[in-house]
Amino acid sequence: MGTREDEYDYLFKVVLIGDSGVGKSSLLSRFTRNEFNLESKSTIGVEFATRSIEVDGKTIKAQIWDTAGQERYRAITSAYYRGAVGALLVYDIAKHLSYENVERWLRELRDHADQNILIMLVGNKSDLRHLRSIPTEEAKAFAEQNGLSFIETSALDSTNVEPAFQNILTEIYRIVSQRQMRDPPEGDVIRPDAEPADVRPSQADSVRKQCCQ
Amino acid sequence: MESYQVEYDKNGLLPDTFWRTPQRALPGRPCQRVGQEEVMSGSSYQQFQASVNDAWDLGDDDIISGIAETKISKAISQTAALNVINSHRNSSKNVNKSDVKESDGVKGREEVSEVRKNEVRKGGGAGLRHYPGRPRPVRPSALSSREESSESKLERFQQLHEIAVVNLDELKQISWSGIPVKARAVTWRLLAGYLPANSERRAETLERKRADYKHLVRQYYESERDDDTYRQIHIDIPRMSPLVALFQQHTVQVMFERILYIWAIRHPASGYVQGINDLVTPFFMVFLQEAAPGEELDNYPLDKLTEEQRDIIEADSFWCLSKFLDSIQDNYIFAQLGIQYKVNQLKELIRRIDLPLHEHLQSHGVDYLQFSFRWMNNLLTREIPLPCTIRLWDTYLAESDGFAIFQLYVCAAFLLHWRERLMLERDFQGLMILLQNVPTQNWTDSNISVLVAEAYRLKFAFADAPNHLQSAGKSDR
Repeated sequence: MGTREDEYDYLFKVVLIGDSGVGKSSLLSRFTRNEFNLESKSTIGVEFATRSIEVDGKTIKAQIWDTAGQERYRAITSAYYRGAVGALLVYDIAKHLSYENVERWLRELRDHADQNILIMLVGNKSDLRHLRSIPTEEAKAFAEQNGLSFIETSALDSTNVEPAFQNILTEIYRIVSQRQMRDPPEGDVIRPDAEPADVRPSQADSVRKQCCQ
Repeated sequence: MESYQVEYDKNGLLPDTFWRTPQRALPGRPCQRVGQEEVMSGSSYQQFQASVNDAWDLGDDDIISGIAETKISKAISQTAALNVINSHRNSSKNVNKSDVKESDGVKGREEVSEVRKNEVRKGGGAGLRHYPGRPRPVRPSALSSREESSESKLERFQQLHEIAVVNLDELKQISWSGIPVKARAVTWRLLAGYLPANSERRAETLERKRADYKHLVRQYYESERDDDTYRQIHIDIPRMSPLVALFQQHTVQVMFERILYIWAIRHPASGYVQGINDLVTPFFMVFLQEAAPGEELDNYPLDKLTEEQRDIIEADSFWCLSKFLDSIQDNYIFAQLGIQYKVNQLKELIRRIDLPLHEHLQSHGVDYLQFSFRWMNNLLTREIPLPCTIRLWDTYLAESDGFAIFQLYVCAAFLLHWRERLMLERDFQGLMILLQNVPTQNWTDSNISVLVAEAYRLKFAFADAPNHLQSAGKSDR
């Protein structure tokens, strides 16, 4: 072991949420493995993947939790919001209902996630131009009103998938590193599920790199 | 045989590490050793035969094909094997009884023939004798002897099926260790409680149930549907087995849709929960296999069957699924309480069985819910190849008290199977990635035999001592 993959300066937990079938798992596999399965299986409970990116010469490891979309699962999946510093709230640009449900998902986050969580609204399946039912401008306006960032992606043809994750991770990094300057970290190793939701625990790994090398 | 040996290693099945986990003696092995001792000490041939009979039964043909590993001479064991084959044929009764022990330790043991009892008394240590004489990893052995053995097993099934009133206990006993393909569809119907044990009532019942199902389709599916339920099922079906052509056929998808939709509507306490779709598949495959014997099913065009044949597959899958899910409906009610409860039990169980592993998981922040939820929700269908699922369900259906509890032990055995690899992982991500993608691609029925044997052993050791699980609800993090 001891590969580059093991070393990182920051570890951020990000959750993927949204209605069933909007493409959360596809976004995840596109981002973490650069793969796309035309019909990937439904997610049961939660699934997990990671990928590291560089920002300002720092290695950021994203720990991404992909949750099941079916409403029935929310009682279970809400536990996974704990410790998350970012959320990609995904809808399908061709399925109006998945967009209507965005408000419910926002409530869900308000109820279960840290109040400082960064949320990005993601309109997926942008390749389905002829089936579009949500105009980009409408979603953009909605995102602005609600203080969310916004992007449209296609996991199928890769459009904007990389920027979507890059943007949210970079934004989290900016907030965390600014706060770090004011308020130095305690140097704990991150335990994704050990602490209650708070942006702070997830920033604290900068010590580790030095001591491991 | 050599090639099997290689494949076996490549599979990463590590029998020694697998069995080492508990501090108890190794199930399966002692029986062979008993046999050896008997040979060495030159005791009666009958005793020897009985001991080999046992090994033959349980390990299929480990004695024959695994000669290199045992010290019984080829000539003796082959002679004995012939005798065993004959005794199989002549007295299926006796054979069944040694299977009893596999499925139902204490109860079965009482019924074991005198000879066998003597063996046990002489050979087994205190802990040992309770355990079924489970084989060590039942390697798929030389094909010919395998067929020989499965042929005689098939005969036993056919004999049982033909009896006027099927002895379900007996059927469960021989099914527990795997059902031959040709006998599977009928046996599953019987074990699921769908097909009556009384053969006189069978034709009439099937006819009525199949007609009932058609009626349900008209009543629920072909009239106004509940949108939410239908939508979710409709989204899930096409992505169920994305890489298998069989499941990409419209005909097949509509059959699944109807089965699931009607089941969901008739079970309002749970409704459709993602994952239940995977639980239809084994029934569907087994009944399809019956309708299209010997065919390659992965690409099988369903339109080749008559409409009547398709209706039978669909109706029987529906009824068997319904029966099958009855015992685990609490898995799918609100908040999936049944699963949450079982996940806690699993955690408690592992803590008691393998504290180092438990602490390793805990210290890296791995929560049992994070990986075992899917194991429970989908009954491991997502973790192992479909043929293995079908083999596993032979055992589930044969579990006498329903498989809800047994499933817990299967999950525990499954987790323990990977313990060596898990212990090598140094962080949360490594553990989670492994746990969510355990490498079972090359698993075969023999891996399942080992898994359920271990699960049985764990269940025997823990379920019969309720205190072992009493504090399951208590958090120990």
